[in-house]
Parts: sequence; C-alpha cells; structure tokens
Amino acid sequence: MSGWNRRYQFITAALLCASFFQLYARLPSACAESIKPPVSPQEIIRLGERLYRDGILPSGEPLMALVKGDLPVSGTAFSCVSCHLRSGFGSVEGGVFTPPTNGTMLYQPFRLLFKGLEQKYFPYPDRRPAYTDASLAEALRRGDNPAGGHLNDVMPRYQLEDGDMAILIPYLKSLSAQYSPGVSTTTLRFATVITDEVSPEDREAMLAPIEQYMNIKNSQAQAYRKPMGGKSRQMAENMLVSKELATRTLTLSRWVLKGPQRTWAGQLREYYRKEPVFALLGGITYGDWSVVHQFSEENRIPCLLPQTDVPVLSATDWYTLYPSKGFYQEGEAAARYLGIRDDVSPDRIVQIVRDSREGRALAAGFDQTWEDLGHRAVLTMKLSSGQRITSDFIRQLSVIGKPAAVLLWDGPETLPALDLLSTPSATPELAFISARYLGKSLQSMSERSRLFTYITYPFSFAQTVIRTSMGSTTVEDDSKWRVSLANSPFNNSATGISSVTKSLTQLLTMALMDMRGNYYRDNFFDVISMVPDQPSSAYARLSFGPGQRYASKGCYIVQLSPGTEPDLIRKSPWVIH
Amino acid sequence: MITRRLNLYVILIVILTLCSINLADSADLKYKRSVVSYSMPDVVLVNQDGAKVRFKDLMRSNKPVVVDFIFGTCTTICPVLSAGFANIQNRIGADTGKVRLVSISIDPENDTPKVMREYLKRYRAKPGWDFFTGSRRDIDSVMRAFDAYVPNKMSHYPLTLIRSPVDGKWVRIFGLMGSSEFLIEFQKVGMK
Repeated sequence: MSGWNRRYQFITAALLCASFFQLYARLPSACAESIKPPVSPQEIIRLGERLYRDGILPSGEPLMALVKGDLPVSGTAFSCVSCHLRSGFGSVEGGVFTPPTNGTMLYQPFRLLFKGLEQKYFPYPDRRPAYTDASLAEALRRGDNPAGGHLNDVMPRYQLEDGDMAILIPYLKSLSAQYSPGVSTTTLRFATVITDEVSPEDREAMLAPIEQYMNIKNSQAQAYRKPMGGKSRQMAENMLVSKELATRTLTLSRWVLKGPQRTWAGQLREYYRKEPVFALLGGITYGDWSVVHQFSEENRIPCLLPQTDVPVLSATDWYTLYPSKGFYQEGEAAARYLGIRDDVSPDRIVQIVRDSREGRALAAGFDQTWEDLGHRAVLTMKLSSGQRITSDFIRQLSVIGKPAAVLLWDGPETLPALDLLSTPSATPELAFISARYLGKSLQSMSERSRLFTYITYPFSFAQTVIRTSMGSTTVEDDSKWRVSLANSPFNNSATGISSVTKSLTQLLTMALMDMRGNYYRDNFFDVISMVPDQPSSAYARLSFGPGQRYASKGCYIVQLSPGTEPDLIRKSPWVIH
Repeated sequence: MITRRLNLYVILIVILTLCSINLADSADLKYKRSVVSYSMPDVVLVNQDGAKVRFKDLMRSNKPVVVDFIFGTCTTICPVLSAGFANIQNRIGADTGKVRLVSISIDPENDTPKVMREYLKRYRAKPGWDFFTGSRRDIDSVMRAFDAYVPNKMSHYPLTLIRSPVDGKWVRIFGLMGSSEFLIEFQKVGMK
C-alpha cells in the first residue's frame, strides 16, 4: 500500500512537473501574443500589399520560396505580383497560365468555361472546389490544391509562417473584391481631361476617334438589347468585344480645366465628386500633365495615353500610361547618339538651355542619359526667359576650347544662334536642336547651318509595316531613310494627335475584351501591359509591359537636306544603343 | 566510436536515398531536350555596362556558355529562368566566371543598359552573367540563329541553350528546369 502511495505520489509529482513545464513552455508565446501590439485591419492590408507586391515579410525579411521543386527564390527577385499581377487576375505568358488569386475567385469553385461562357446545360465539372483559409495555406506552402492534385511547379512553394499567412490571406480577400468606381450594371464611365488653352482643332482631333468608337460600341449593344427574344442577347454576347458590354453603355465626359494651374486639382476633385469614373481616356494639354498625374496617383485612377510633351517622369508611379516621354525622350536620344559617336570628345560638349518647360525637359533627358552612359556632366549655360543668344554669348562657349558638340535646347530663337555658330572659327562638329521645340520654323534653317545641325525627331518616318501571321501582328521598324518634311506627321499636329487616339481605341478594345467583365482599375492596366506591340503612324511602335509607362521608346536623329522643300535624312535607328 | 560510425552510416544512407529520389525525378524530365549545332550571326550587342560586344566572339568560348531570352518586365517565365541562372552561380562555387551566362533581351527598346543593370542586381547576379540588348534587327538575327524567333515578346517561350566547350554543340532545353536538373545538364556538357 505504501509502495502504491509512493508510486501515486511520484506520478502526481511527475504530472505536476509536466504541467508546470508545459505551462512554462507556453508562457513566452502566450506572453508574446499578449504583448504584441494589435494590428489594425489597415495595417494588415498594408503589410499584405508589401508581401504580395514586394515579397517582403511582416518581419522585414524577404519572402523565400522554392520553384520547380528545388530552385530557391527570394522575394526580392519575384513575388506574387510578378505572375498574378496587381489586380490578382493572373496572366498568360510564355505558355504558362496563371489563374486569378483574388479572394472572390479563390473562395468559389473554379469553373471551366466554354469560349468564355458558362454552360447552362451539361456544364464541365469544376476544376477545383472553393478554397478555405486552411486549404489556401496548404496550397501556398506545399502546392496541394483542394481538388486533390498539385499546382504547377512554376507556382512557388512559399515559406510562410502562420503569422505571415494571417497577413497574406486577408490581403488576397481584399484584392479586387468589389468593382471600382464608375462601374454599374448599366454603365462604364470614362472621362477625358482637356486644358482650356488647347485649340478646338486639336481637341477635336483627340476626341473624335474616342467618341466615334463609343458610339459604334453603344449602338451595337443597343441593337442587341432590343426585345427580340433570347437569341438577340446571345448574339450580343458573342458579337461584342465582351459579353458584359451587352448590358452596359460606355460614357465619356469632358473634364475641361480652366484658369490657373494651381486651381486644377480642385476642379478635378469636383468633377470626380460629381461623377466618379472608372478611368481617364486620352486627354490633352499644351503644358505639363503633373496635376492630372498626381490626381490619378492619389485616387488610383488609370489614365490612358494623355497627350502632353511634358509628362511626369517616374520609374515607380503606376496610374498614367503616356504615349512617350515627350521632350525628355529627345534629350535622351541626343545623349545616346553622342554616346555612339567615337569621334566626339565628351569633354568638349556644351549645352545651352532655355529656362522653359521644354528646355528643362530636353536638358534633363540629356543629362540623365549622359550620366547613365558613364560620362561626367557637360558644361551647361542657361538662357533666361527673353535672353537672346548674341555673338558674345557664343564666344563664351570657347571656355572649353572649340566645342565639339553644342546642344541648343531652344525654340525658334535657335535659328539665328545656329547662324552665329556657323562662322568658321566657331562651328562645332555637331549642333543638336529639337524638331518639336522649333516647330514649323525648322524648314527655314539656313543652308549653312544644315551642314552641321542634327535634329532630334521623335516621329515615325512612314506608316510602319505590319505583318500578320496566324493572328499575331509584327510591327516592323521603318525602312525609309529619307522623307519629305512637308509630309511628316509632325507638320500637322492634328494628324499626330488623332493617330495616338486611334491607338488608344485599339488598346481599349483589347482591354475591354481581356478584362472579361472584371472591371477593376488595376486589371485595366494589367491587361494592357500584356498587349503586343502596336503600330502607330506618329510614333512608329508603341510597346507595353508591366510597369512600362511610356509606350513609344524611340527618337530619330535627322539632318535637313538642302533646298526650299527639304527632306529629313535619318542618321540613326529609332532606338539608339 | 561505434556510435559515431553508426551515425555516419545513417547520414550516408539518408544522402543516398535523397540522391536516388533526385535521380528518379530527373529521369522523368519535364522539359524537352535536344542536341543541335548552330552558326552564330556576326552582330554587335550591348551589355548592362554599355560595353559593345561581338556576339560571335562571346559564343566562341572554352567555357560552357548558357543562353536564354528574357526581358526586364517579363512576368512569369523570365523570373524562373533568371532564378535558375542565379542559383547555378551559387552552386558552382566561388569562381562564377568559369561558366558564361548570357541573357538576351527580346524587348530591346525598353531594356537599356540601366534597366538591365537593375534586373541583374535584383537577382544578385555575379561576374559571369551578362545581359545584352541591341538593335531589333540584330536581336532578331540572334533569335533566328537559335531557332527561337518570336515576332512579339509576349509570345515567347522558355528556352535554355547550353554550349559544350568540348564539341561546340548546343543542348537545347525547351521548358523550365529545377536546380538539380540544371546542374545535371551542366555535368552532361563536361562541367565539373
């Protein structure tokens, strides 16, 4: 009995010890949890967005994963957003289909569609049942899908702790969870921003192709909407670019900005308050686009191909896709051209810059690119507003010896300055000017100046050749080396403007088709980033890609031929390497 | 002493088992493999530092050369191909220069030296891995030389080409490889 008692006491003591140790072992984590600062729902979304887009864990460490079974990858190289894109709707690229990963799609069965349509009779079996939080965590960690199979091994298997999962899953649930503003069951609203100084001809050139496009699409949908029985609806769904447009009307409002630039932000807010739109299409200004750019960033409203020669230049801003970098791109081309000219001494280059929006943008493009090419900054001389270039000014250029190249970033005032430069003692080997900044005065350049003057010319030489084979379009580079100045798109601004808007309507068709009714603003730009290169009669080639925000990448360097009706003679490829 | 030896045996058995699993996996290839001869075009490309390089000379090497076609803003397959390049550099040891890794841009208008430098930095590329751009015509001729021409960057496909320094022939790999699969392919072209 006493032995049993002793054994009993021993067991009791052991159990007490065990429970003490268990308690002790649990204590730190319990304490840790209790002392953790509460994470607000906003903070969860912020951390989730950082994890999804930048591959950074809440701890600040990079997310780690294995792809193709045993290939280690770090979140700094790529993360969820690389394939599933910002909206979470996924992509098809290089033969790899990346399915949607936003909560709405994950937490419902994945249905197989036939030609994009759900089958009312004899539907296909579901590809997988709806995820739960637990099965989603399994899929992210081990690639097991709830249908019992495995995800393609291109999908990384992520090393995510429970705490990380508690951040990522709510973020996925919040991603593209409800339609963006401007979308209803009956309308898809757009607006276009015009600043008041733009001439009626240029406004019309920008607006007409979009309005015509919308009229055609709306009248098609309207015709199908007539009560002719079930067949007309089926016809509408098959004939329109997207079946979801059968019930929706596209609208375009004109948001005209008047008065001083400092009042534009307020005007935009007021327009938006009265009529929230899904996206901004086109738009035009003779000045800079920074106020509208900022408005788009702050409100996360995509703005597609606004026409400005002074866009905002940013490697990270997301919501404005410009036709080109404008004047900046011309400065960039001059730097690249000088970079490949081995006969020009980098130490004998001078830049003369008019203190204007155009002059500053041209100089910024040159300076940044010149530095990226590994060169020291060139000597820069500023011209204040109204200051004339005199012989004395030209003499000052020789502080670096006789200049090898002079970049003259000025408007029509450039021509007399070039004449001053064309005296034998002052003539540089090359002078650079901007076709766009000079405008039509370009053709009155003196014959002497034409010999040494190189012109940045950011337009196409001819209608770009397009070859279509098996549904894929190939945009070929210009093969022409000479074109009449009188026939160039630059000579008629309305032609250039409407050509960009026509590209916009082509993009819009593809975007409306590829969004498949998923009207989320991030999805709008996600699908555009997947569009193949498009031809443009003004800008030769427009190309796209995730994060690419300036569609035209090129600019020619040209010279003027002698004569009263000069030709432009190409001296460089469209993109200079 | 006996325990330690026993432990060593256990570790050895575990390693062998793991190796056999890996080999079993590699026998079941998920990519298409062929051995081909190519002739290289005489074009000049530009690398991430802005240096001009004669492509033909670059390919004529006494080291194994690996070529892939990627672009800086590609979404799905380029990141996996590039993770493969980064990983192979980590696995071949300190002298990363003993293998020449060559990525060729199929978006040459956007992929400037600056874009390419930033891309390589993201993958922690070490010396021995270069990214090239050039005129569209020259890039097209390189793609055509490898029977890899795509009219548009969005319609590209995963391709890795490994040149053996022994006979100058190319192993053409269509599809994406894992880390061990890549290493095995390297060993096949004579890489130690």
